[in-house]
Amino acid sequence: MNTTFPFGFQLPLAFYLTIYVLTLVVHVVLMAYVLGGSLWLTWASLFPGKEKTPRTMQPVARLLRDWMPFALSGAITAGVAPLLFVQILYQQQFYTANLLLGWRWMVVIPVLIVVFYLLYVVKSRAIASWALPLRVLLACGVATCFLFVAFCWTANHLLSLDQSQWPTVFQSGNAVTSAITLALRLATWVCGTLPVMSLLGLWQLRGMRSRTAKWDAEEALVGTSPTEWDYRFSQENRRLMILSVAGTLSAFIFATLYYSQLDQKVRHSLTGSAGFVWLMVLVTSAVAVILLSLSRRKKSVQELSTLLGLTCAQLIQLVAAASLREVIRLTQADLTAVTQNAADAFQIGGFAVFLIFAVMNAGLITWCIVLVKQK
Amino acid sequence: MNPVYPVNDYGPLMPGLVMAAVAIVHVFLAQFAVGGGILLCYFQWLAMTGRNTTARLFVNGYFKILVLISFVLGAMTGVGIWFTSIQVSAPTIGQMVFNFHWIWATEWTFFSLEVVAGYCFYRYHNQLTDRTNLTLLGLYAFAAWMSLFWINGILSWQLTPGSWLETHSLTDGFFNPGFWPSLFFRTIVCMTLAALIGCIVVNVIPSLDRSEKQELINRAAHLMTPMLAMPLLGGWYLLSMPEDSRSWVLGGSPAMMLFFMISVGASLAIGSYALIGLWFQKLYINGATATLLLFMAFGATAGGEFVREGSRKPYTIRHVVYSNGIRPQDVAELRRRGCVADDPFPVTFESKLPSANIELGAKVFRRQCAVCHTMEGANAIVHLTGTWDTDQMRMNIAKLQQTKPFMPPFAGTAKELECLIQYIRWVKSKRQQNSDEDISQETLERITHWLDEAGTEPADVHGVSTSAMAAREGSSR
Ligand code: HEC
Ligand code: HEM
Repeated sequence: MNTTFPFGFQLPLAFYLTIYVLTLVVHVVLMAYVLGGSLWLTWASLFPGKEKTPRTMQPVARLLRDWMPFALSGAITAGVAPLLFVQILYQQQFYTANLLLGWRWMVVIPVLIVVFYLLYVVKSRAIASWALPLRVLLACGVATCFLFVAFCWTANHLLSLDQSQWPTVFQSGNAVTSAITLALRLATWVCGTLPVMSLLGLWQLRGMRSRTAKWDAEEALVGTSPTEWDYRFSQENRRLMILSVAGTLSAFIFATLYYSQLDQKVRHSLTGSAGFVWLMVLVTSAVAVILLSLSRRKKSVQELSTLLGLTCAQLIQLVAAASLREVIRLTQADLTAVTQNAADAFQIGGFAVFLIFAVMNAGLITWCIVLVKQK
Repeated sequence: MNPVYPVNDYGPLMPGLVMAAVAIVHVFLAQFAVGGGILLCYFQWLAMTGRNTTARLFVNGYFKILVLISFVLGAMTGVGIWFTSIQVSAPTIGQMVFNFHWIWATEWTFFSLEVVAGYCFYRYHNQLTDRTNLTLLGLYAFAAWMSLFWINGILSWQLTPGSWLETHSLTDGFFNPGFWPSLFFRTIVCMTLAALIGCIVVNVIPSLDRSEKQELINRAAHLMTPMLAMPLLGGWYLLSMPEDSRSWVLGGSPAMMLFFMISVGASLAIGSYALIGLWFQKLYINGATATLLLFMAFGATAGGEFVREGSRKPYTIRHVVYSNGIRPQDVAELRRRGCVADDPFPVTFESKLPSANIELGAKVFRRQCAVCHTMEGANAIVHLTGTWDTDQMRMNIAKLQQTKPFMPPFAGTAKELECLIQYIRWVKSKRQQNSDEDISQETLERITHWLDEAGTEPADVHGVSTSAMAAREGSSR
C-alpha cells in the first residue's frame, strides 16, 4: 500500500482490483439512475408545482418513468459483474457478511422483484387517473424499496470490513455495529447518485429535444405552445444542473463526515501514498462538475461539449471514489490472504474465452442498437 | 483449509430445502425464457413468410409479455440462487466461482446481450421491419441459449468433474462427462416448456376462432418433437453419472428414486400426449389440458432438480467439497486439529448448555452435520440414533461414511466426537441431564481406533483413480 492504488500490488491482485473497480462503476451509473430517479419522482409527486403541467408530467419525470424499468434491468445485470469479482477478491469477508445478515440479506431479491413490477405500474397510463395520495404513495414506495436495497448493500459492506465484530454480531443478531457510520456512508452514496442521475437526464433531454416532433404532437393535445415547450426544457435543464451541484456538495459533506469516523490507520492510507492521488482526482473532478453545472445552468439544451465534459468529470469522479473505497477496504483486510486469493485465481484459465466473447457480444449489442436506431 | 463460516439456524426448514425451492422456480423460469426465445423466433418467421398470419398476434401481443416476465423473474431468481447458495454452502459456491470465474464472466456477456436484444424487441418491435424483428429475436434466443450453455458446464461439473480432478484444466472441467447429455436434455426441456405455455396463451387470445387456434397450437407443439430423443438422452445422462450416484437414483435411495420416477413419469405423459396427438390427428390442446401438462412439467423439473441436488451426496462438488463445506483433503488435518478449533462463532441455537463439552458438541454438530440434519426436526439425529446405545453411537458416527455412504467421513478429533455424543444425549434427555461427564482416556482411545478403522476417505473412494486422489492431495485449493 505504498504506491497509488492499485499499482502497489502484485500483478494478479492489481488486475482483479482494476476489473472490480471498473465493473462496479458501471453498476453504480445505472443504479444511480434508478435510485436518483425514484427520488426525483417522489419529489415531483410531492411538490407538483404551480404550473399548468404538474412536474410529474414534465420531460424529466416522463423520461424517468419510461426508462427506469430498463435501467433497473441494466443495474441488476451490471451488478452481477462486480458480484463475481468481489467473490474472487474478498470471498471470506463477503460471504460471512451475507451469512451474518441471513434472511435480511435474502430479502433484497423479493424487494427488487416487487419494485421492478411497481416501475411498470408507475409507467402505465392508468395511474394518471389515480388520486393524488395514491400516486404519492406509489412514488414513495418505489423510492423506499431502492433506498432499502442500497441500505442492505452498505450494511453488508460495512459488516464485511469489521472482522473483529463478527462473533458479537452473530451472537446478538444486531448487524449494524455503528449506526452513525452506516448512515453517513449511505448518505454519501445516495447524494452521490444525484449528479449521476442528473447527467443521464441531461443526455436524455438532449435526445428528446432532437426528436421533439412526436412529443410536441402529444403535448399539442394539452395545448402547449412551442415557446412554452422551450421554456419547460430550460426549466428542466436548470433543475438538473442544480441537482448536480447540490448532490455533489452534499455527498462531499457526508463523505468528509464519514472520513472523520474512520480509523486513524485507514485515514492515513487515504491521505497517504495509496490514496492521495485519487483523493486529489476526486476533489478536482467534483469541482469541475460543480463549475460546469453552474456555468451552463441557464441553457435550454446542453451543448455536446458540455455534456462530454460533465460525463468525463463524472466518470473520473466515480472511478476515484470506487478506488478510495477499495483503499479503505484493503487497509482493513488481511493483505496476504487477499494477494494469495488473487494469485490463485490468476492461474485459472478462461480469460481468453472471456475476451473473445466479450468483444463479440459488445459488437452484437452495438448491432442491436444500430438496428433500432434505423427505425 | 476453508474458513469457518457462521451457520444460520433456519429452524425446521433446512436451508437445503429453501435452496431446492429457489432453484426449482429459477430453473423453471429460466428454461422457459430460453424456450420462449426459440418459439418467438419460429412464430415471427411463420408470420413474416405468410405461413401463418395469426402468429403475429401471438408474437406481438401476449407471448412477448410472458417472456419478459419470466426473463425478469429468471434474472432475479438467478441472483437469488447465488445468494441462497452462499447461505447453504459458502465454500461450494466459492469453489464454483473460483474455478470458473471467466466462464461466469463469459456467460454474463451473453446475458447482457440477452437483456439488450430482448428489450429492443420489446420496446420497438412495432416500429421495426419484420426482418429486423427476426434478427433481434434471433439474437435474443441465441444469447439466452448460450447462457444455458455456459452455466450448464459449471453445474454438470459439480456432479461429474471427470478428468478435471487430475488435470485441473478448464476445458476438462467444463466439457465434463455430464456436459453434453445435460445440455441437450435441458434444451429439449426449454422447448417443451415454451410450447406448453404457448398453448395456454393461444387458448386465451379472444380474437382467434377455433381453427386458427388449432393451427397455432400445432405449430407450437412442433417444439415438443425433440422430446422423442429424451429417453436416449436420459440414458446417456445416467451413464455419465458416477456409479454410486446412479445406484441411488435407480433404487438405492427410496426418496431419490421417487423423485426420479416422478420426473420420468411426468415427462413420458407430456411427451406421449403431444406426440400421439400430433401424429394421429391434428392436435388440439385446450387451456385446461395445457395447464395440467404444464403442472406436470413443473413436477418433472422439480423432480429432476431434486435428483441433481440429492445424487451428489456426500459432496456438493464431487471429490472437491463435502456437503458440510469441508474439503476431502482437509479431513485428516481436522482429525488432528479439531473442526471447531477456529470456529469463533458462539452457539446461539441452544440456550443453557450445561457444560463446556456439550457446547463443544453443539458446535461440532453445527459444523459437520447441520447442513443435512436437524436435532429434532427433519432428518433428526435424535430419532435416527434413537435405538443406539452410547457405544454404538460412538462407533457409527466415527465410521460415518460406512454407516451411510452418502455421509462424509467424520472430520474432527476423538474428543470432539465424544462431545457431539454428549450433546446428542443431552438433547435426547429433553435437555434435562445436567452432569458434565468426564471423558475417560479409554473412551477416547476406543473412538480413535474406530476413526482409524474408517479412515479419512469417503465411501466411494474405489470409484476414483489413484492418480486423481494424488492430484487432489497435492492441490492447495
Ligand atoms: C451429506 C449430508 C449429511 C451429512 C453432512 C451428515 N449426514 Fe447423517 N445422514 C444423511 C442422510 C441422507 C441419512 C439417511 C437418513 C435416513 O435414512 O432417513 C443420514 C443418516 C444418519 C444417521 C442414521 C444412520 C442409520 O444407519 O440409520 C445418523 C446417526 C447420522 N446420519 C448422523 C450424522 C452425524 C452425527 C453427522 C455429522 C457428524 C451427519 N450425520 C452428517 C446425510 C448426512
Ligand atoms: C437497484 C437496486 C440496487 C441499488 C440501489 C444498489 C446500490 C448499491 C450501493 C449503494 C452499493 C455500495 C455499497 C457501499 O459501498 O456501501 C452497491 C454495491 C454493490 N452492488 Fe448494488 N445496488 C442494487 C442492486 C444490485 C444488484 C441486483 C446486484 C447484484 C446482482 C448488485 C451488486 C453490487 C455489488 C457486487 C456491489 C459491491 C459490494 C461490495 O464491494 O461490498 N447491486 N450497490
